Amino acid sequence: MQQTVLDRADPLADDVLSLELRGADGPLAPWEPGAHIDLALPNWLTRQFSLCGDPADPERYRVAVRHDPLSRGGSEYVHRFLRTGRPLEVSLPRNHFPLLPAPAYLFLAGGIGVTAVAPMLRAAVAAGARAELVYVGRSASAMPFADELRAAYGERVRTVVTAEEGRPDLAALAARTAPGTLVYCCGPASMLADAEAVFPAERLRTERFRPREREFAPAAPFEVACARSGRVVEVAADESLLDALAYAGLPLPSGCREGVCGSCELAVLEGEPEHRDDVGAPAGRMYACVSRARSPRLVVDL
Amino acid sequence: MTPAHATARRVSPDEVRARLGEPEPMTRAKVRDRVDAHAHRFIAHSPFLTLATADARGRADCSPRGDYPGFVKVLDAHTLALPDRPGNRLADSFRNLAENDGVGLLFFVPGVRETLRVNGRAHPTDEPDVLARMRTEAREPALALVVEVAEVYFHCGRALIRSRLWDPASQELAAELPSPGQVAVDQLGLDMDPALVDQGLETGYRKLF
Repeated sequence: MQQTVLDRADPLADDVLSLELRGADGPLAPWEPGAHIDLALPNWLTRQFSLCGDPADPERYRVAVRHDPLSRGGSEYVHRFLRTGRPLEVSLPRNHFPLLPAPAYLFLAGGIGVTAVAPMLRAAVAAGARAELVYVGRSASAMPFADELRAAYGERVRTVVTAEEGRPDLAALAARTAPGTLVYCCGPASMLADAEAVFPAERLRTERFRPREREFAPAAPFEVACARSGRVVEVAADESLLDALAYAGLPLPSGCREGVCGSCELAVLEGEPEHRDDVGAPAGRMYACVSRARSPRLVVDL
Repeated sequence: MTPAHATARRVSPDEVRARLGEPEPMTRAKVRDRVDAHAHRFIAHSPFLTLATADARGRADCSPRGDYPGFVKVLDAHTLALPDRPGNRLADSFRNLAENDGVGLLFFVPGVRETLRVNGRAHPTDEPDVLARMRTEAREPALALVVEVAEVYFHCGRALIRSRLWDPASQELAAELPSPGQVAVDQLGLDMDPALVDQGLETGYRKLF
């Protein structure tokens, strides 16, 4: 974890606040476009936010937070109760949405999803790649960074206001996208589904705010052997691996607890995990909050 | 001999008032009919409250409710919503509210001596937009309690000061009590090891949501 202080909280668009978090103990850990941090709020909730400031500035992180009308207490807390000057703990940046080298990029941002994508567009243009952004929002006044991005990147940025124009025709966009273009999409579930329907999977990268709705086979109990401590932990059918480990006195860091943020990553040494996350676990890793086991036993590096 | 408390004299309401004196005008003035910014901030930082209800005949009941700070949602200045997390399934509060919808809530914030009192009327709901705001650990409560707010006021800190409620040293009191397993074995006349009952209880506590 890193200690920061909330230096500024400024309105950025309708129901969107920009937060500037200054490193309290010197420079903050470096990050690359697409990365996010966990922000530990005073009300014990931890929320994930994409970094949308300047990666070259080690003094501060910037995030933008939309007030969700169905807030469970994260965005509502940030908007109503968080005060500048307050010390806040943040995680090291994690990146499940990295900008991979490509000759051309198409960025698709829906609403607050622009926070992940804006630094990617800046980096892609700076690297001399062809890059285009289609930025979709309900109304112009609710779209953070829209003016700034249009001013900086002109024709490369197209904003679509759905209240006036409806949802963009992604199929037509896909048809005229040059082969070899990498497509990055961050937005609500409906936009991700539209993108997944028209862009080839090998050229599409997505980042979700919320888990995909999916059905899983009924959960079964399994056993986890912890290689380093020698402990063996039984995971009951109705509890998560994360909870079972915590109860056994082996707590992992955790954030969203719904398979989106990746904070509870665990190295698997033996056995076959059943991945239920939306992060996309690399080989030999799993996310203990939602993922389980296909084999009766896993050996983990803990 | 009859113990003194069995025949303890009942003091009439008028006499109680005469002995206590009238409240300061300021005390009455602080009773509000809505959740203002200060009350909202207090509720948003409160992880614990007590909920008082009574049935149609006035048989009263008080139960604890707790979760992360802000688990009680302020839907608007006149409406709160409380999640119904798994408990003992006695549903005393819901049973009472079916007959008598009056409720009294007392909110606590650890470390704060003042408490917040909210009185009003309540009913259960399964409104999806309300339950969605109470999703934790990937689970939503099956029901929530909607409270229509009539009175909101801050209660002074004397009771919490006298009780040393937030003084860490006060937790030494816990060592003087038997374990819940011992209490259950004694009260129910069970022929089993209290430690096993305690172990069972701890396992049950693993499922909080």
